[in-house]
Amino acid sequence: MKKRVAHLVGALVILMAVSLIGSGAALAADPTHHPLYMPNANNIHNPALQPPPVCCVPVAPPVAGEPAPVNMAYFGGHVQVTPKVYLVFWGWGQAGAFDHTTPGMPAYDPDGAAARMTAFIQAMGGSNWAEVSTQYYETVGGTNVYIQNPTNVLGGVWYDDTNPIHDNVSGLELAQEAQRAVAHFGVTDLKNSQFVIAQPQKYNEAGFDGGVGYCAWHDYTQPQYYPGVQPGISFTNMPYSLNMGQSCGQNSVNTGYYAGKLDGFTIVLGHEVEETITDPGAEDVINGQNLGGWYDYSAYENGDKCAWVGYTFGTTSPSTVPGGLNNITGNDGKQYPVQSLWSNNSAAGAGYCAGAGDDLPTG
Amino acid sequence: MPRKLRMLLAAAGVVALTAATAGASTTSVTITSPRAGQSISLKKNPYLAIAGGATFAPTTAGTTRLYLRRDGCGTSNDNPHLSIATGTDGGDGCGLIFNAVVGTGGDVDQGAFVDFPSSDGMPLALSTAGPITGQVSLTGAQVGLAYVDVTLEALINGEAVTLGKATGSATLDPTGDYTPVPFSIQPSSTLDGSDLQALDLRVLVHGPNVYSGFVSLNGHSFADLPSHAASVNESVQVSLDDSSFANAVPARLSGSSWSVALQTPAALGKHTIYARSAQGFDTSATASQTFTVTK
Repeated sequence: MKKRVAHLVGALVILMAVSLIGSGAALAADPTHHPLYMPNANNIHNPALQPPPVCCVPVAPPVAGEPAPVNMAYFGGHVQVTPKVYLVFWGWGQAGAFDHTTPGMPAYDPDGAAARMTAFIQAMGGSNWAEVSTQYYETVGGTNVYIQNPTNVLGGVWYDDTNPIHDNVSGLELAQEAQRAVAHFGVTDLKNSQFVIAQPQKYNEAGFDGGVGYCAWHDYTQPQYYPGVQPGISFTNMPYSLNMGQSCGQNSVNTGYYAGKLDGFTIVLGHEVEETITDPGAEDVINGQNLGGWYDYSAYENGDKCAWVGYTFGTTSPSTVPGGLNNITGNDGKQYPVQSLWSNNSAAGAGYCAGAGDDLPTG
Repeated sequence: MPRKLRMLLAAAGVVALTAATAGASTTSVTITSPRAGQSISLKKNPYLAIAGGATFAPTTAGTTRLYLRRDGCGTSNDNPHLSIATGTDGGDGCGLIFNAVVGTGGDVDQGAFVDFPSSDGMPLALSTAGPITGQVSLTGAQVGLAYVDVTLEALINGEAVTLGKATGSATLDPTGDYTPVPFSIQPSSTLDGSDLQALDLRVLVHGPNVYSGFVSLNGHSFADLPSHAASVNESVQVSLDDSSFANAVPARLSGSSWSVALQTPAALGKHTIYARSAQGFDTSATASQTFTVTK
């Protein structure tokens, strides 16, 4: 309890400091671009994986297992008001994509990871968890248009075994695959669409493979960063979480060997999807125009601020920290492990991690 | 009912210790009616009687023994696993706990469980006619009372299902090579006949006076699962003019025969019936028969 009170007080102090600096929209981002990483549970402090701070306030690294305080601000870019998530399973059916099979499971998905991610996206719409993002908005012509929480956010699923994947794919190649997905699905409403490029066990993105220390990242295609790729595509690099075991969430919520084997997939995917909904522009500042949506002065988005809360690496136990990793009930009645999401409205407006069914007690 | 009969046989103790692998089963199907090239009058036969034969692998009741195996101890390649094959284990005697004596009433428990997921022997057709039994043997500088907690979890239809938990205990014998700690788990009868896709045995050793709780492998630790030699889930699907079976209908199985009635297609001319049988995760080659519909 003392720790929580200290957090809230700290949050208020920092909030005042931010208000002295000025509105979020007026701040300029660090010009050094990199995707917005989700550090794994062992790299939550890794400076190389933190987003470039928005401004001049010294930033203390987040405390492992605890929420990163201070509320998020609106930076003027669009949000995904009616989000559609398109899942691309790139090369899952390609030879060598997996080194094992499981009886009764498709060869292209022997662990059931693709099926789990698909079910999760189908089930997240309308949930209390997704509801957290509906407090955020974009301003169009002076009017605030709030994010909605529709029941069906799954835009489509594409098992792309036509365009060959390989191990150590680059971010540019992922962006190119996202562009192919735009064409495949015939998407015209890019602002409300996001593309998850999910990779199979043996073919993953180079940084993930190389042990940089993240589980996934999301970004926004701009010519400066992804030359030759259609601008304005929000996409997620979603490597095969299970390759990183417990550091990317395996058995972090559910105890059983099989019951918790896929925990990381929905925790990581949920983190990226909700960040993309509230900040599809991925904090980009292009020619002085801020394309970012919602994040705090440290450039932490709604997922970053609550990543791995309540999780002690390698230990599966019911989280005793409010806002900790937890199972939520999807619109299909099934349980899905997720992390909570930052809610400016929680804790009487001081903000806290919410939506995972283990919120701060009220009253 | 054949399935019930099999259960009764198993319950009567007709249990042979086998290392059955349901994955080796085969099934096949034939179509005997309509005959090849047969003409069928739509007016006289608004419904089409389709029949054939099917063979399935024997579903003899037995027991499948899965050994606790481990390739190393304290390395990145320890690879604890379950296998239907036994042999010499590089990880024999690997420690689960290492703690000082805590005295009467205490309980050394570091929470350091070890998972032994199956590496072979799957799928496995589970029988709940009897309990799953087994033993986890302890070795090393053993002394005093030891408890072994085991949890069996399976993957069934892609979902994790806990088959059961049990705690076995034994007073460790410091003069012996190893001390078996037996366990017994009775799975829910609702799981009878389930096709296990994967299995995990979680082991946790603890106790008030355990100085060291090392698991003895090399065939000394295992689980015996009542099972069938092949899946008891047998079926035949029939499809009219569609080899993809997208809108297949299930046939009625009776021994080695099957039958189903379909509406005779209204379109005059040649049509094709497709059939395939399934036993658990095994699917037969597709059989087909062409016939002609006349007025």
